[in-house]
Amino acid sequence: MSHGRRLAERPDVGIRIEHSEEPLVAWRTWALSGSSHGDNLLLRPVNARGHAWVPGEVAEARCERHWTHTAPELGCLCGFHASPAFDVLRRMRSPAVLGRVALWGRVIEHDRGYRARFAYPQRVRLICQFCFWQHGPLANAPTAVGWYPRRRLIPMCDEHLAVSRTLAQAPRRVLDAPTLDQRLRSTYAVDLLAV
Amino acid sequence: MNIGQPKRIIEIEPASIPLPDTGPPLAEPAPVPEPVPEGGREP
Repeated sequence: MSHGRRLAERPDVGIRIEHSEEPLVAWRTWALSGSSHGDNLLLRPVNARGHAWVPGEVAEARCERHWTHTAPELGCLCGFHASPAFDVLRRMRSPAVLGRVALWGRVIEHDRGYRARFAYPQRVRLICQFCFWQHGPLANAPTAVGWYPRRRLIPMCDEHLAVSRTLAQAPRRVLDAPTLDQRLRSTYAVDLLAV
Repeated sequence: MNIGQPKRIIEIEPASIPLPDTGPPLAEPAPVPEPVPEGGREP
């Protein structure tokens, strides 16, 4: 979910409206939180603002800047963001999970992405954010998940876990990534994202 | 994420909400009837 920056004085000019019964499915990344034992896993927006996505419940977007409109508003940047291409997501800050997400309700299509009112993940997998940034979704799967203060969970490959230790950024606890990957899918009742 | 300028609005009303179908808890299996001996039950 994002904030209320004006895109144009008259953002509705030239925008066509269409109707559909088929949800859109697009790429999205999330942050991940949970206990130090890897329980109570929750998908969260990567920008650290906004609410966690409750397992089994439809996520409904709300504008955090303008309480008077329903997200997504055309002249704002609110709503759940997703993209038709995952390359855009490689520039996101600190993603822990890559997945496909279903979007419905009002969906605003932009040049390089969507903003939607309702959403729910369809397929997910943990990613090493550093490998994802370098190699995209073809990067190796993470082997460990670091548990950090404020319940943050950061999946990492062996190499980047070692780097975190040399940079004095070692996690407080290291959990098994395949176990958490499976637990995350079970929590949200979704399938593995095969890339 | 910079997603550029808006191009169109799609109002999507799905026939079914795309939530996982976890379904209700499975009902207990029906009890297996006792086998009836040939010639029927004894009185």
